[in-house]
This record gives sequence, C-alpha cells and structure tokens, in this order.
Amino acid sequence: MKLFRILAICSFMLCTLAGIQHAQAQPAQTQVEYSSAPATTEVEMADTLRQDGKIYVVVIVLLTILAGLIIYLIMLDRKVSKLEKQFKE
Amino acid sequence: MKNNWWKILTVLLLVFTVVVGMLSEVPRLAILNETIRNLYFHVPMWFGMILILLISVVYSIKYLRSPTIKNDVVAYEAAKVGILFGVLGIVTGMEWAKFTWGEYWSNDPKQNAAAIGLLIYFAYIVLRSSFAEQQQRARISAVYNIFAFAALIPLLFILPRLTDSLHPGNGGNPGFNAYDLDSKLRMVFYPAVLGWTLLGIWIINVRTRFEILRQRLYETV
Repeated sequence: MKLFRILAICSFMLCTLAGIQHAQAQPAQTQVEYSSAPATTEVEMADTLRQDGKIYVVVIVLLTILAGLIIYLIMLDRKVSKLEKQFKE
Repeated sequence: MKNNWWKILTVLLLVFTVVVGMLSEVPRLAILNETIRNLYFHVPMWFGMILILLISVVYSIKYLRSPTIKNDVVAYEAAKVGILFGVLGIVTGMEWAKFTWGEYWSNDPKQNAAAIGLLIYFAYIVLRSSFAEQQQRARISAVYNIFAFAALIPLLFILPRLTDSLHPGNGGNPGFNAYDLDSKLRMVFYPAVLGWTLLGIWIINVRTRFEILRQRLYETV
C-alpha cells in the first residue's frame, strides 16, 4: 500500500511541477488564438444557463451520483475492515 | 484514520473536480464549446488507466522477484481496475467524438490504438482464468502483464504521434502546449487526474484486501 501512495504522490508532484513551470514560462501565451473563429465572444457558451443557475442543477446531480458511489465504496471498505478484524480474532 | 487520509483527499479532489470543473471559466473554442469540460472527466480516465496499469506492472515484477500472494493479487486487481478505466475512457471518448468529430468511431489512430491496447489487456484476463494451478497462473500472467504494458505505451503515446490524428497533441506535436491546455484548465485538470486515479487505487485497495481475506479463509477451512 505504501508503494501505491508514493507512486501517486510522485506522479502528482511531477504533474503539478510541469504545470507550474509551463504556466510560468508562458504567461503571455495564455491569450493564444484557439481557433479560426473570427471573434472569441461569438462562440456559443452556456452563459445563460449558468447565470440562471440551472447549471447548478447539473452540479447537484453529479455530486449526488459521486456521493452515492463514494458512500457505497466507504461502506464496502468498512465491511472488509470488519472482516479483517474478525479474521484476526 | 491516520492511514486513510488519502481516501479523504480522493473525495475532496473529486468534489472539487465536479464543482469547479462545471462552473469555472473555460476557453471559448469553436466546435468544442462547453464540451471542453470533458477534459476533466474523459482524459483523467486514460491518465488514471496508465498510472494504475503501471502499479499493476510494478506488482507483477515484484511477484516475479518475490512470489507472494499479495503481489499477485494486487497486480491482478490493479489490471482489472485499469481495464475498467480504459473502457470508461473509450466509451466517454466515443460519446464526445460523436458531437465534435461527427462520428462515434472515426478510425482515429489513437482510438484504434486504444482499442488494441484494451484487447491486449482483455487477453490478460482470459489468459489468467485459463490456469487452474495458482503459482503457474500468477507467474505466467505476471510475465504477460509486463509485455502487455510494454505494448501499450507505444500504442498510446508513440504510434499516434507518427501520423495525423484528431486527438490534440498528435501528428508531430508534443502533448500539452499553450494551444490545447491553458493554465485555467490545468488548475482543474491535474487535481482531476489525481482524484480519479486515487479513486481507482481505493477500489484496488478494497478489492485486494477482500481477495486476500478470501484466500486466507480457504486456507484455514
């Protein structure tokens, strides 16, 4: 298990380092033109949806699903822990 | 609780991914529009898959060096979770492709390579299930796992780059540049990768403990 965590942490640190370096190296380039579309403001985005607050509905639904899955996983985790304890005794 | 801090971190990162990933500002790109937010959900599946399959390979090598049941079980469970992430990655990719590239499957080099890579890993499961004897199964599937990973890396990271691809960062370009990933996206993308990967590791953790428990139970009965 230790190896897992060390691996995950190392990879994360590498990623963030790479990200920070990149972001620092090219601060001016974040305004790069992304497409051949004439003016960036004309691209359709879900602004109204967010302003009206309806995007929050989606966020709530996603959070509910995520919460359900995570709670399920936590319960599974606990069950296994309990079994491990019982087995030791 | 001390040993479970990373599980709390997983939950926090995933909640952050969903909330900030949905509500933050993103670059305004034609064709992509709001679907660019898939970057926080589709792409981490592949990053997570690679990291988790790397764990699997590490444990396969560890098994060959010291054949314990734990090393074998972790390698197997990690491979299975890696395959789960890969399948989710390919399905989400197809859904995204339908609405941006026009087809679910447009024979993009990276799509094809990912499919081949997954088939190689499906074969791992089939191979594993065809041995009755535990040590033989563990040893041969460990060797196969190393070859599978060695085949997957060129399939996903080298071959698609040698030709034109619809995926960003291919056709001669290195992965992330200012063109396809700006710093706003990065701020959510890297936590998302870590969060999804940790979720996979959590599943591996629970499944491994369960499997080891089961095997011990059989030994004592």
